[in-house]
Amino acid sequence: MFDIKLDRISKRYFIWNDHRSRSALWPGFTRPGKRKKEIWALRDVSFEVSTGESLGIIGNNGAGKSTILKLLSRISVPTSGEIRIRGRLSALVEVGSGFHQELTGRENIFVNGSMLGMTRSEIVRKVESIVEFAGVREYIDVPVKRYSSGMYVRLGFSIAAHLDPDILLLDEVLAVGDLVFQAKCLDLISELRATGRTIVLISHDLGAIQRLCDRAILLHQGQIVHIGTPAEVIDRYQQMTIGAEATYHLVNDEWRAPASCSHISFAAAEAGATVRTGYPMFARFGFRARERLENVVFNIFIYWPSSYLCAQLTTAISEPHLRIAPGPGEVEFYCPVLEIQPGLYRVGVSIESNGDDIDRQERCALLRVHPGKMVFGDFYMDSVWRIT
Amino acid sequence: MNPPHTAGAHGSEDLEGGDRSNPSEPPASLPVSTRRLPEREHPLLGSLPAPPRAVCIICPPSFSPGAIVSAFVTLLAHRDLLYTLTCVRLSIRYKQSALGWIWAALLPLSTMCIYTLIFSRVARVASEGMPYPLFVFSALLPWIFFAGAVSAAINGMVGYSHILTKLYFPREIIPLSYVFAALVDFAVALVILGGLMAYYRIALSWNAFYALPLVVILLVFTSAVALFLASIQIRLRDVGVALPVLLQIGVFVTPVAYPLQSIPPRLQTLYLLNPVASLIENFRRVVLHGSAPNVPMLVTSGTITLGCFILAYGYFKVREGTMADII
Repeated sequence: MFDIKLDRISKRYFIWNDHRSRSALWPGFTRPGKRKKEIWALRDVSFEVSTGESLGIIGNNGAGKSTILKLLSRISVPTSGEIRIRGRLSALVEVGSGFHQELTGRENIFVNGSMLGMTRSEIVRKVESIVEFAGVREYIDVPVKRYSSGMYVRLGFSIAAHLDPDILLLDEVLAVGDLVFQAKCLDLISELRATGRTIVLISHDLGAIQRLCDRAILLHQGQIVHIGTPAEVIDRYQQMTIGAEATYHLVNDEWRAPASCSHISFAAAEAGATVRTGYPMFARFGFRARERLENVVFNIFIYWPSSYLCAQLTTAISEPHLRIAPGPGEVEFYCPVLEIQPGLYRVGVSIESNGDDIDRQERCALLRVHPGKMVFGDFYMDSVWRIT
Repeated sequence: MNPPHTAGAHGSEDLEGGDRSNPSEPPASLPVSTRRLPEREHPLLGSLPAPPRAVCIICPPSFSPGAIVSAFVTLLAHRDLLYTLTCVRLSIRYKQSALGWIWAALLPLSTMCIYTLIFSRVARVASEGMPYPLFVFSALLPWIFFAGAVSAAINGMVGYSHILTKLYFPREIIPLSYVFAALVDFAVALVILGGLMAYYRIALSWNAFYALPLVVILLVFTSAVALFLASIQIRLRDVGVALPVLLQIGVFVTPVAYPLQSIPPRLQTLYLLNPVASLIENFRRVVLHGSAPNVPMLVTSGTITLGCFILAYGYFKVREGTMADII
């Protein structure tokens, strides 16, 4: 049974040239050929979400994610195509955006609640619980313009959380509030999901997509590129984004640095095997030195897709006073247990001498880690166990 | 050593798929049994009856009788929001003002004084045998309701852009809430009218009850104009700029400052096609003169109003779907 069904949905926006803003300052002032530009935010998008399923939508900025959300929540209508929605749908988009600054928290619960589709009697029934969950009891009769931004968001989310939707749309709601509140939101969403509600989640947080969704869609330039399991789709997305950005200009002879990196490669210890979580891995760092160098350090940086540093391989800890002679050479790192989870990582390298970078290349290679020993969490922690 | 969890449905690195796409396997710690039961759990509200699910179809808007009727049904389902927003208007309008609600009476009273000064003392306009202040005040009330509601609704619609792009509810509720708030001001001003009539010793007759259908028709017509202009204002802000002038013209093509008789008889039919003109004329007749309303005028204005409302509402609903895109 479907809850949401999109049938060949397209959405077109028009963008006007700034010089002809429609304020009619100069109604006759138009530059030929530069008047109106049409943009297809979505083109022939069709998919279904069945009851109780949670679907994640990922894609770059401008891929059409928010447009889908706007169409589903009826903020905007499609240019062509048809959407069928079975049941009550609520969107948790920028919670608290309907608040009136002059009104008190309690009054805003009524205004915002009824904007979200609750009846007055429903709100009267729920108002105590809303105040409780938001934790703003002392301030509930104070105008919300006096609220801190945290209280504002908590109250907004609490109202939305007290809806009883069949279908829940989420768009980056998890990016607001402090960590405790974020955890609270995530718990609530998991619980709603467990009670059979259909969820559509739009997020840049690939981890959240993987944790919360049964299925995912990858959008690119208004079209569906891939539908499948979150792991599959995230992998495809990472290939698309990181693959496009990676630069492989490693051999750098024109630059007369005292030493430079010439190549980098990763390999499993076992011949013929792929690099897998939980198994040994070799990382080989080729370099070329043009002079004798003292106190040399070789680094390999492994970055998450989000560009945060995930891990570092370095020679600095075991041998801070490494010396190298002119000529080519290679450093081989051996990791007995690869602890990072499957996925596609960016790799950067650097060579230091006496504390200064003499070569540094960000995002110069990719590391693909294949599924090996499977665990939950951000890392695989190698362990042994016994029953005592 | 293998970890205690073996690779299963929720291993975050399961590339093979298959298992993960199966929604009937939630994390083991959470209840599964609530699914597909008429009663369901809500994390904050406990167990609730699951309401029946209606299928809603979203497609490019069209102007059709069916669409208008179903839009109206949806509007009725959101009447609580209309009520709440009307209350919000009323409660914030006079916040941080010293005189507060007195303004609702003061504004028409001061306009009345200006009109009396100009049209009675300077220009000496006839007033059907009534004291001129009362004559003009009885017509100013419906006029101020109409003009005030339309201009507030149009400016208010644009002021809601941050909500229009974030939340969905029937958009017509925003202009309508301004219209209903103006209706409350109208009721306050009616009390003043009663006071003035008592002061001039003019008795109220049973015919005054005819004011009720007149006000209803005026309300519908005002809503129609507000909806139509608001949907244009979203795209072209010219409407908001031109409106004060248009309303100024409007006050002189309705019998507010002068009696209907001053209009040449051959132009009267055309003149009275304007529902506001005929409603104001009838309003003055039943309230001030205590005579029966002019029924043909009432019927004509009612018919025109109904037609205008259906067209304006249908147009608004067609425009509604792209309001968030172009506001």
